[in-house]
Order: sequence, then C-alpha cells, then structure tokens
Amino acid sequence: MLAQHLFNGLMLGVIYALVATGFTLFFGVMDVIKFSHGDVVMLGAFTALATYAAASGAGITHPALLLAFMLAAALGVMALLGALMARVLVLPLRGAPAINVLLITLMAGTAIRESVRLFYPQGSNPKPFPRLLPEGAFEAGGFTLRYDSLILLGLGLAAIAATGLLLERTRLGLAIRAVAQDPETAAVMGIPFRATVLATFALGSALAALAGVVNGLYYSEVNFGVGLLLGAIGFSSAVVGGLGSVWGAVLGAMVFAALQTAGALVVPGGSAYRDVFAFGAVIALMTWRPAGLLAERSAERV
Amino acid sequence: MPVAAWPALAAVAIGAGLAAALLLVHHKAAVLAVLAVGAALLVVAQRTRAGERAAASAAAHPRLVPVAVAACGLGLVMLLREDNFALLMLCTVALQTLAALGLHLQFGYAGVANFAGAAFLGVGAYTAAVLGGHLPSVLVLVTGAGLAALAGLLLALPLLRTRGHYAALITIAFGLLLRTFLEVNDTLGGPQGLKVPGFTLGGLAFNDAIVFDEDTEWSFYVPYAVLALALLGATHVLVRRLERSWIGLALDAVRVDETAAAAFGVNGGAWKIAAFCVGNALCGLAGALLAMVTGFVAPPSFAFGDSLVLVSIVILGGIGNPLGLLPAAFLVVVLPEKLQGLQEYRFLLFAVLVILVLRLRPGGLLPRRLRRWPGLP
Amino acid sequence: MPPVGAKDTVRIAFIGPLTGGVAANGLGGRNSADLAVRLRNADPKAKYTYELMVLDDECKPNVGVQVATRAASDNSVIAGVTHYCSTVAMATVDVYKRFGLPVVVWGAVLPDITYANDYKEIHRVNGTMINQNETAAQFVTGLKFRSWAVIHDTTDYGKGHNKYFSEALTRAGGKILGTFGVTADQQDFSAELTRIKDLKPEVIYFGGTTPLGVRIRSQMDKLGVKAVFQGTSGIISDAYIEGLGTLAEGTLAFREGAPVEKLPGGKAFLEAYAKQKYPEDPEAYGPFAFAATNLVMDAIERSGPDRRKVRAELNRTRNVDSVVGRITFDDHRQNSVPLITRFVVQDGRWVVWEDSDYATGKRALAKR
Repeated sequence: MLAQHLFNGLMLGVIYALVATGFTLFFGVMDVIKFSHGDVVMLGAFTALATYAAASGAGITHPALLLAFMLAAALGVMALLGALMARVLVLPLRGAPAINVLLITLMAGTAIRESVRLFYPQGSNPKPFPRLLPEGAFEAGGFTLRYDSLILLGLGLAAIAATGLLLERTRLGLAIRAVAQDPETAAVMGIPFRATVLATFALGSALAALAGVVNGLYYSEVNFGVGLLLGAIGFSSAVVGGLGSVWGAVLGAMVFAALQTAGALVVPGGSAYRDVFAFGAVIALMTWRPAGLLAERSAERV
Repeated sequence: MPVAAWPALAAVAIGAGLAAALLLVHHKAAVLAVLAVGAALLVVAQRTRAGERAAASAAAHPRLVPVAVAACGLGLVMLLREDNFALLMLCTVALQTLAALGLHLQFGYAGVANFAGAAFLGVGAYTAAVLGGHLPSVLVLVTGAGLAALAGLLLALPLLRTRGHYAALITIAFGLLLRTFLEVNDTLGGPQGLKVPGFTLGGLAFNDAIVFDEDTEWSFYVPYAVLALALLGATHVLVRRLERSWIGLALDAVRVDETAAAAFGVNGGAWKIAAFCVGNALCGLAGALLAMVTGFVAPPSFAFGDSLVLVSIVILGGIGNPLGLLPAAFLVVVLPEKLQGLQEYRFLLFAVLVILVLRLRPGGLLPRRLRRWPGLP
Repeated sequence: MPPVGAKDTVRIAFIGPLTGGVAANGLGGRNSADLAVRLRNADPKAKYTYELMVLDDECKPNVGVQVATRAASDNSVIAGVTHYCSTVAMATVDVYKRFGLPVVVWGAVLPDITYANDYKEIHRVNGTMINQNETAAQFVTGLKFRSWAVIHDTTDYGKGHNKYFSEALTRAGGKILGTFGVTADQQDFSAELTRIKDLKPEVIYFGGTTPLGVRIRSQMDKLGVKAVFQGTSGIISDAYIEGLGTLAEGTLAFREGAPVEKLPGGKAFLEAYAKQKYPEDPEAYGPFAFAATNLVMDAIERSGPDRRKVRAELNRTRNVDSVVGRITFDDHRQNSVPLITRFVVQDGRWVVWEDSDYATGKRALAKR
C-alpha cells in the first residue's frame, strides 16, 4: 500500500515538475507569470493526439515511431507557440505593470482552451489517448508497477535533468541565467535580450508539451479543461519551491504531490477535503519560508 | 484662468450615454456598433487631448463632478425603470465595481494583488444567506463586510511575510480552499446552495415591484439599483478622500518601496494589513448585497474564475485609477452577456477582445496619473 | 395552405450550459431543442412559427439568474425549456415564479427543484435522482453483488446521487465499504483507487458525469482495480465510450425514461438529429430537451401564445407520448415516469440490459 502511494505520488510530482519548470524559467528571465502555461500543456497533448490520428491515418503503426512523431510535433509546435506568445503578448508589455502580462496570458489561455473545445472534433468531450507504451505490469502483493508508468517516470526525470544541465552547462543556459540576473549587464556583455527571452519561452513551452504527452500517456485520457488545474498546481509548485530555480520547482512539485496524496489518505472526512488540506498547507509553508523553499539569497538595497 | 466645467460634464454625459446604449441594445450588430463608437471616442479623446482637458476640468470642480455623476446614475435608473434585465445588469456592474474598488485599494495602494476577491465576496454573500431575515438588512450588510474583513485577517501573517507573486499565491490558495470547503461542507447548504431573503428597509421590501397604477409598474430592481449606486458613489468619494490624505501618501510609499518607506518611519506592515482589510470589507459588502439581489448563493459563483473577473476589472480600468473601474466593469460584466447571441463562441471572442485592449492600451483604459498636489506648479 | 409569412412568430427560451466543463450536455440539449423547433416550423399544420432564444447559464447560479431574468422579463418569450445543472435550476425557480414564465426543466435532477416549492410555473420532464437510485440499488443487489465502494463528485449532482444511492442500497442489503468525495475537476485518482483496491469491493459506484467517469474507469485499469463499474445517468453518453474504448465494456448505468431507440418517435428523433449534422451528439438528456420543447410548443398550439394559458395547459399534462416515454405531471408538475431504463455497455454501445448478452448469461460482469 505505502509503496503504491509513494510511486503514485512520485509520478504525479514529475508531471507537476515539468509544468512548474516552465513557470520558473519565465519568471527568471522576465519576472512575469505566464498564466496560459497550463493550457499550453493541454494544447501540447491535443497536438500529439492530432499527429497520432494523422500518422496512423497515413499507415504508420509502429508504436515507437508514432510516439516519436507525436513528441516531435507537440514539442516543436508548442516551442514555436511559446516563442510567438513571448513575441506578441509578453515583450510588448514590458513597460506595463507585471500583472498586465498575467491578465493577457490568462486570456490567451482562455482563447486556447475555448478554441480546442470548439474547433477540435467533439472537443468538449474527453478524448482517449493512445496506449503506445508496452503494456504489462510487475505485481507484488497489492503493489502494481506498470512498465509504461516506469518509462514515463524516467522520461520526465530525464527531461528535467536535461533542462538543469542545459541551464548550467551550455552557452544558451549561461545566456538565460545572465538575463535572469541582470538584463542590462547581460546586454552590455553582448547577450541579445530578445533572442534569449524567446528561446526561454520556447524551452518552457516544449517542456509543457512534454508534460501534456506524459499526462496523456499516463492517464490514457485528455480533455480540454486539463490545463486549468495543472496550471494552478504548476504555479503553486514553482512558488512554493522558490521562483527562478529549476530545482526549487522540482522540490515544490514533489511537495505538492505529496500533500495531495497525503491529504486524500489522512484527512478525516475523506478525500473531498484534499485540496483544502493541500492549499492550507501551501499557505502555512509560505508563511514559514516566504520566498519559497529554495529561496535565492539576496539582500535588499536600501 | 479658471478652468471651464463643461469638459468634465461632457465626459460624464458621454460615459452615461454609452452605458445606457450598451444596456439597452440586444442585437449583435448594435452591440458591436456601440463598442466601436466607444473605442473611437477613446482614440479621439487621446489624440485631441480632450481626455486631459476633461481631467483637468474635473480636478478644478471637485464638487460638481460627483453631483453630475450621481445625477447621471439616477437618470440611468429612471430610464431603465421598467427593464428588469437591464437594471439587474446595472446592479451587478455597480456591485462588481464596488468589490473591484476594494481590490484597487489593496493592489493600487498597498501592492497586494488579491486573487481571492470572489472568496471575500462569497463570505459577504453567505452572511446574507444565513443572517438575512434574522437581522435588519442594513446590519446584515455591515456584518457581511465585517466578516469578510475578519476572514482576511487570517491571511495577515502570511501576507506580511511575503511579497509579489508569493503573496499572490497565498490569496489564490485561500480562494481555492474556501470554495472547495463551501462545496464539501454541508453546514452552509453544500453544493446545493442557499436562498437569500431580500433587502428590507423600514416597511419597504425591495423584492416587491413598485406599482403605481395598472399601467405603471416599476421593476423591483429600481431600489436595489439606487442602493447599489449610492453605496458605490459613497465608497468612491471615501476612497478619493483617503487617496488625497496622508494615509494615501503612506500607502503609496509602501507600495513603491516598502524598505524606503520604513526608513522614513512609515510602518508598512500595519498599512498593508489595514488596506487589505478595508478592501475585503468592500468585497464583503458588495457580496452581501449582490446575494440579496440574486436571491441565491452557491459555491460555483465564487470560483477562481470569478476572482479573476475582479482582477481583470482592476487591470483593465488602469491600475491605481478608481475612475477606470466603472467602464472596465461594464466591459467585463455586460459584454459577455451581450454576446449571448454568439452562444458557445462568446468567451473566445471576449478573450480576444481583452487581449486587444491590453495590447493597444497596455496601461488599461484610464491609466493612473501622477500624484499632483494643489498649489504646486 | 396559407402563405408562410402569414404565421405569427412565437419565441421560447432554451437555457443550458453552453460553455465550461459540462458544455457537451448543454450543447446536446440545445441541438435537440433546436431540432424540435425546426421540425415544427417545417410542419404546415403548425399555427405559429417558433423561434428559439438560446441562452448560456455557464452552470453557475448567478449567471443563471441573469439569463433567466432576461428571458422571463421579455414579454415576447412565452415559455422556456431550462437548465441542466441543479444549482442553477434551484436559483432560478423564483425568477420564473415572479415573472410568471412557464418553464419545463430538461435535465436537472435534484428533487427539490419541483418538490421544495409549489410553483405552478415549474415543470420537469426528466425524473429525479431518487427514482434512479432506488432501481439501481435493487437491480444490482439482485445480481448478487454484495459490497460497494462509492466515489462521487462534490457537486450537487454527485452528492445527491451518493445520498440516495447509499440509502437505497442499505435498504436493499448491500454493504458500502468506503465513500470518497472528489472535486469535479480532479485529474488524479490514484490515492483514492489505491485505497479502494485494498478494500476489495465487488462494485464501484460512481456518482458524477462523463469526464470524471472516464478518468476513474481508466485509472482503475492502470492500478489493477478489478470491480464492476456502475454509474448514473451522467455517464450515459457516447463520449464515455469514445473516451474509454474497450475499457467501457460492462459498465452499468441507469436513466429515467424509456429507451429512446425503442419508442416509435425515438427512432425518428435520432434519424432527424443525424440528418441535421450537428457537430455534437445529443448526449443523455438531449431527448428530454426535445420532449420538453415539443411539450411547450404543443401547449402553445392549443392555447395560443399567452403565458397564463400555456401554464395551465402544461399543468394539465397527462399521458402524453414523447421520445422519452409517456409524460404525466404529478401535483408538483414532476413527470412521474415510473420507468427507469437499465443500460450496460456492450461492444462499444450502450445497450438496454434486457437485450444484452449479460442478461442472457452469454457474458458475465467481472467478479472477483
């Protein structure tokens, strides 16, 4: 039982972490919250779904090949969309209050969600997500470990690790970190601000697309409203962990998943109160560590 | 040279005219035409600097303008006296603006972005549902405001310790938590909701239509609309006063730079919490009256999306400018209703419209102006 | 035959959720009401031309009151076909009463909508959740199942079903091992299902609608929870089967009214619906919206476009044949349909239990 709950929580945490990483990246370079992020996750899943339909319509049946196509399409299209949104919605509002970016991206998210609901065939209904990973499971007592879940867990963890390495070891990562620290100085050092921002948004949105595909494969189902709660949870995770830090986002996501799972198990009155419990705990955590669990250390200038 | 009063009066009259037109038209094409006229007027006002002249004129006649606005409000109610639906929309706009005024105090002055506006609205509304009929209605409104402020105090400590997006998350978490709690817990009607008794004053029950004779009957929403507009007007005057006082200056200082303000002896924390509580009280007040107008409360009306509606009003209005709230509330509350003809497509169009407004006017409809002290050049 | 222009136009309102999470049901209802109006307008014998005023209540009570006020205070609207969501229907009954607009509820199932007040304006064609769960409990205990785990969403729909089913099941001798409330937007049920797996129930009863039903059934499979999945009217939709594929096989569910396919008018309804090429399916309550719209138009045909007369006409409804079976209103203007249809998913279709291989014993529901 306990092992099963631990694994369930871990899997949930990895999906949340993929979403939270995007929030933390955007905040790092632009100090903004992009509220459409959850809906980009959803659109990523639907892009993969449409690609699956097209590819299997074209006669491709090999699961690995199909999956590769789906991932390529979802990640590629979402990365482009992310850069486009940064270009059209975020960068032009640089002079306005940061909260305006929040509203404009929120509305962009609504537009994405409503468009999928209205224009994807039968979009207001839940869609089955194809089962492309090997079926079968390892059973021991009450513990079921499915191979597909294990693969997804590995995929998610690898993506997060790769993002961390990219930020720490590559030139692009260096540029992102420099812009996050101080755009003006970065510009003086010859780091192009706009290009770096666009690249960051593309990266974060590709991660969102991956989250969407992993989510779809894990639950075998996707629906147009899935981004709403995932977005709120991803944001919460990023903040709880400490905005601007990838490892903080991962930690925050794991904490949130643990809170939800624990909430469903230990709170009297059953699982209906689990969100009350989880969000109450978030408020308590924030009071304890006001700048997140892994806060960047900074002294304020007076 | 004395500044003429007419530019301010003309601006008020044009605003009232647009509001009346938007409330009265139903047809898709007519709604879009009214919107186009409004947008055109805004552009013209900006190009010809007519907006600035109106603002200067309003500043020079601080007594006249509120009277003109009140007269226009009353005129609007009289014009719509038999139109139940238009009056209900007017009530909703007025009360959402009242709640947004609370958020404006919190955000525009103390820098606390409140993403749980609907939750505090809900506290007021549920107060009206539980206490209505047991207490005089006026007391119910006051209690609703008080309880909302009290509920907000729960967040005082976390909010004092956090800033910016971190503080925003605390309000988001609270909003989600309260809504789920109302739904799961059955003591307050659970998901099914509760009926709310109407407002009564002396012997006058607001829920009865006003019948003069067989042919003349005014909607029962007339007294509600008058009350809502009066509350909004009074609160607006109060907020303006506050803004010009040293309290407003202190709040501004806290918002712009808490650390520097502290260095000058302004106790940021206390002011922040005070502004937060007053703002929530306004939300609670609006919620209590809105519940009486609607006659029913249930958890789905106080979801995160409804909190975002309030935030949208504050941002679209132009952060820090209470005058912008009213047109913004009109846009956010009335427009989706007027787009009913588009059925399932209306939210898509609404989202696109808001994106356009923000792109074309990044500072909101009527952005905040710099503080000016009378007597300074 | 009089020229087309000679007929007066009469407006009736349709209100349901056209946006948001349950929009699929609202759109199915809207299309069905629209179909009823189209068919009537094509009928040369009809005295009036009908126009449908479609309004979106977003499944939110405050919005519901707004649109109900809009329809009810518009004197050109003679009657309404209203609401899928129970809270919205509860919030709006007073509006219809105040303005004297006769309405027929087409989808909301909370008993209180008709029974909490005695408003002559409020009618309902679909049954309440009491009827449905009474039959469900008796039927499934009759199949020799003994132990249940209950999952319900925390909306009025899910909570109501939980209450009435639990009461009926206890009376029928079933045993409930655990009850789990979940919020309507929840994605992950692994914590709840892992606990249920440990409780080893024979049946999982789910009170809620399609989106959640699909998620829970699918995650049951992921976690290796083997139990019969029993739902309510809320999951009887093509979307449930489309969303699950072969996993849907053997799911049980119950709905008030006769099976549409089996009634003479029902087949015609489904064919006419298909002919209009609506982008959405009618869903479980589309036929009720169709029947309600026809009931309203029949009343207007008989009494003329006058709200009071239409109300009196609707109040008198007795033994009227419709696509959902015979309609008779009781003293609270609630359709007293005695018939509850039992469905099971077989080969990717919702099949009436009596016609299924499960009833004949050719196939068996999963037993532990």
